[in-house]
Amino acid sequence: MQTGIQALDYAYRYLFIAVLIALAIMVILCLIYAIKGPRIADRIVATNMMGTIVMVIIAILAVMLNEGYLVDICIIYAMISFLAVIVLTKVYMGVYREKNEKENKGEEKLS
Amino acid sequence: MEIVEWLRFIVGAALMICGLIIFIIEIVGVFRFKYVLNRMHAAAMGDTLGIGLSLLGLIIISGLNFTSFKLLCVIVFLWFSSPTSSHLIARLEVATDEEREKHYEIKALDDIKNEKENKGN
Amino acid sequence: MSRKIPDSEYEKTLSYKLKSWLDGTKDAFVGTVEMKPQPDFCEDEETLIKREKEKKQRKERVYDIANNIEINIFKKFYSVFCVAFCLFLVTMLLIAVSYLPSYGHPENPVNNEVSERYIESGLQETGAVNIVTGMILDYRAFDTLGESHVLFIATCTVLILLRRDRKKDEWGNDIDIEVNDRIYEPKNDLILQTAARVLVPPIIIFGIYVILGGHLGPGGGFSGGAIIGAGLILYLNAFGFKKTERFFKEKTYKIMSVCALGCYCLAKSYSFYTGANHIESVIPLGTPGAILSSGLILILNICVGIVVAGTMYTFYVMFRKGGY
Repeated sequence: MQTGIQALDYAYRYLFIAVLIALAIMVILCLIYAIKGPRIADRIVATNMMGTIVMVIIAILAVMLNEGYLVDICIIYAMISFLAVIVLTKVYMGVYREKNEKENKGEEKLS
Repeated sequence: MEIVEWLRFIVGAALMICGLIIFIIEIVGVFRFKYVLNRMHAAAMGDTLGIGLSLLGLIIISGLNFTSFKLLCVIVFLWFSSPTSSHLIARLEVATDEEREKHYEIKALDDIKNEKENKGN
Repeated sequence: MSRKIPDSEYEKTLSYKLKSWLDGTKDAFVGTVEMKPQPDFCEDEETLIKREKEKKQRKERVYDIANNIEINIFKKFYSVFCVAFCLFLVTMLLIAVSYLPSYGHPENPVNNEVSERYIESGLQETGAVNIVTGMILDYRAFDTLGESHVLFIATCTVLILLRRDRKKDEWGNDIDIEVNDRIYEPKNDLILQTAARVLVPPIIIFGIYVILGGHLGPGGGFSGGAIIGAGLILYLNAFGFKKTERFFKEKTYKIMSVCALGCYCLAKSYSFYTGANHIESVIPLGTPGAILSSGLILILNICVGIVVAGTMYTFYVMFRKGGY
């Protein structure tokens, strides 16, 4: 009876650690994608993906260490990454359009 | 009693590994596709299905308590936020792409209707 | 009740005399001496051309970077000086580090009776289950008051630096000449608005939960206030400035933060008055673990949360628009 429960504990720990290592490798791959991606949208997609994977890591840690409050951080992380995408897209679009408008005006003046 | 615990472990582990496989598919897709709007298909899959399966596995492992309720909150939040952010990124890409003829073609709504009618006939 | 009187009658009244005196058309008390208003200043064409020429020349001389001696000297010395300054800072820090005691040694000055006391009798004296909250809002409340004031002062500075005055035309209407990129960004996105309508209330409720649970678990005023500020920024991004101005203006921020800081001062003033001696307070501590427990910590958490939320939102608005 006792050995069975101990074996279960070991099984949980090895499962969690294996999943955590796999996810950590994926975060590094996401970083490579963020650096490599040729367009701005690529980089924003990469940050969004990284946020998702980090959320899973935090949730696994919360269950593994038996500390329920870590899930609070998970919710905050989800919120902040969502907000980051919204603000980045808005600001970048505004800057791009302003630049275009100014270039057009300059060409009109020259011609 | 022990059998139930082991069963819970097996179900939870299976769900978590399914989520992990979804994440791996996401990464592979992101590196294989050639253009952002194609890559976003792969990236959106991890946001909803991957994290949903992983957190469902964690909920089953941790049992019914306040922690699992909060994990459910995370899934529900992502169901709302992920499509919205995908929409915003896609619109950013379409608005700022300068060589759009190279990457995709834009069809007017009437053309699509005409094509459908032709197919029907 | 005011009623219009004819002009001939109005000219006899004292107020008309005062007005004409103020305008300078007629001196009401001296007599019939008339004062002419000064003619507008106008310059002839020659001086105007000359002035423009001088302006141009000055500009050319200043912006002629290749031949400007001062800029060249500055450029040469700048690279040398920044390297020297960096090296100076690095050596200073390294010298300071070499004097530090080794990490983890049991006889370090960090491991003294203060931390022991916090851990042993923190729950009894403050009533907070979370020791960190008990420390920052009870033993070291004076420190946290300073931190809140730093946030407030930072907001004031940003207000002074980044605020733009509204321009008004002749009839007193606002002219919205906007020169930044904000006019070009997309507005009224239906999908984002629907998502924000669903998501903003839970976010703000979650922030309130984090603030109220500050003494029971991790959280507290700073993190909860940041979450509420994030919710407000999300709402602002979805619906635009006009909708948020209905409930959050500069005046609202002023009243909110001043009330919160004053409330903080009042709540802890008994402790400050006695030199932060930690005497027995009148407020009962309650049972540890309940929401209404641990004396004043809950109120102080709420005050700090209000200040932080206002600061987050104000910073975003200032950098994005330059005014409420």
